Amino acid sequence: MQRDRKPKFAIISILLTFGAFILFVLATIVDPLSTYSNILMVAGLALLAASWGVYFIGGRSLQRAEVATENVITVIGCKGCDIREERPFSEGDYVFKEVGPCKKCAGTSYIRAIYAIPIKKD
Amino acid sequence: MPRGSGKPQKLAAISYIPWLGDFKLEINISTISILLNIVVVNMVNPVGQGLFPTGNDLSSIILNILWVVFFFSMILLFNQRLQIWTYQRNVEKATIKLQMLADKSREEALKSVQKYAQENIDIRSQVTSFLDFFTIEPVDRDPFGVLNRLEHLLDNRRDRFKAFVAQIAPKAGKAEAANTEDILEAAMALNFIFKVVRHYLILGKKTKSLMIFVQLDMQLPLIMKMAEAYFNAQKTFSAGKPIGDGLGPLVASKLMFGQPKRVIAEDIVCSEVDISNRKAYVLKAEGPGGLLGKPGEAVKRLVEDMGGKVARIFMVDASSKLEGENTGEVVEGVGAAIGDPGPEKYKIEEVATKYKIPLDAIVCKMDLEEALTTMKKEIVEASEIIIEKIKKAIVERTKEGDVVIIAGIGNTIGIGQ
Ligand SMILES: [Zn+2]
Repeated sequence: MQRDRKPKFAIISILLTFGAFILFVLATIVDPLSTYSNILMVAGLALLAASWGVYFIGGRSLQRAEVATENVITVIGCKGCDIREERPFSEGDYVFKEVGPCKKCAGTSYIRAIYAIPIKKD
Repeated sequence: MPRGSGKPQKLAAISYIPWLGDFKLEINISTISILLNIVVVNMVNPVGQGLFPTGNDLSSIILNILWVVFFFSMILLFNQRLQIWTYQRNVEKATIKLQMLADKSREEALKSVQKYAQENIDIRSQVTSFLDFFTIEPVDRDPFGVLNRLEHLLDNRRDRFKAFVAQIAPKAGKAEAANTEDILEAAMALNFIFKVVRHYLILGKKTKSLMIFVQLDMQLPLIMKMAEAYFNAQKTFSAGKPIGDGLGPLVASKLMFGQPKRVIAEDIVCSEVDISNRKAYVLKAEGPGGLLGKPGEAVKRLVEDMGGKVARIFMVDASSKLEGENTGEVVEGVGAAIGDPGPEKYKIEEVATKYKIPLDAIVCKMDLEEALTTMKKEIVEASEIIIEKIKKAIVERTKEGDVVIIAGIGNTIGIGQ
């Protein structure tokens, strides 16, 4: 999900910068490496460029996955008895809508409640 | 953020982490200055001289001075520009997201209107231009009668909405038309939020003002949360599900269950119920369409009709919760519990004051998103608690034979009677 994705990009970006930093320090401090300082510098520059690129492009991914985030339940009761039935919400349902005769007795059944339960993730 | 809600859109509000951007830039500033130092050193000095030239020759001293000057100019002079970049980037990202939400909600509105529209008629341009519909608030420099004028304008607005929906969606029934109005309201709110944020973004770019960006960036988490709430609300409206704000109507319709109902004011139904030998007039907006009605007008008429012989008025409404409070918490107080722009609240307060009728308020706590999206189980459970509280209060605070009014305030979408 998005929350996991953004810091991931930022961390990659920071790691790349850190790599470049280490390269530069090594190039200046470790004597034998100084012969290749130009190559190292180009490599470091490439790392820096990659780091900025990851940070800016990575942050741009804004599209959000369309997922159902709630489970809507319709509770059906009866005017004559204490039957209680649950089913998923379907369009056209509303609270106190009469939904035909009761299965158990002669009364009319109706929608007692409609509510949402969040879907637990992970 | 509420734990375990698992909504990605809620996370989006906190995914703007400004410190990460700043931290990142700080690192990059220091690396760039080190890098440039090396470039300069390598150009002038023999290879291997190192990061900080230690020689006593003039060029080394000059280089060291150059390095220090460069470093400080980076930190002191360009600091603000870099900060502007960081904040601007956050705001730009938020604006893109808001535009996406506004576009999506417009499409959603079009889709739900299309179901009731006549064939071969292009409603797109009509709906798009209607999203910019505005209402000018009445002048309050001379406050005399301002609420009457406001009520008049709100009536105008509602009439225009109804006429527009009737025009573009002639096949919609009463409930569907009311829901379509709510869907359009949500799309209008998102459209407005997007336009305001975009305005400040462009203004900030034009004036290169750090303060505009900082202020905008600081408010973004709340703005995004509000936008997400409206966006999710729209989905709930198009399905016709009951929303959290429907708590008041839910309590009222539970109380008036099985009793005959009559319409007593615009979009308001009323029932007479016997509670412990007291006569209770229970009222709510007429469902199951997304209506609020005019509960203030209804209470006023009821009280006036009975010549003020009302022992108590109970009002039930949803109330915005503070962070840290629990959703579905039921709290009691006094006053007119109604969140309208003013006119309805005024009528209730006025008539209660005129006849010295105590006003009892019972509210259920929820946040904006919960008020605008599908009613949660906690809120349904709270309605039972509220009914018990009302019954108890009626027994404790009124005598047998008294008349009370119980008003369930809120949007009755998805709740019949
Ligand atoms: Zn039954």
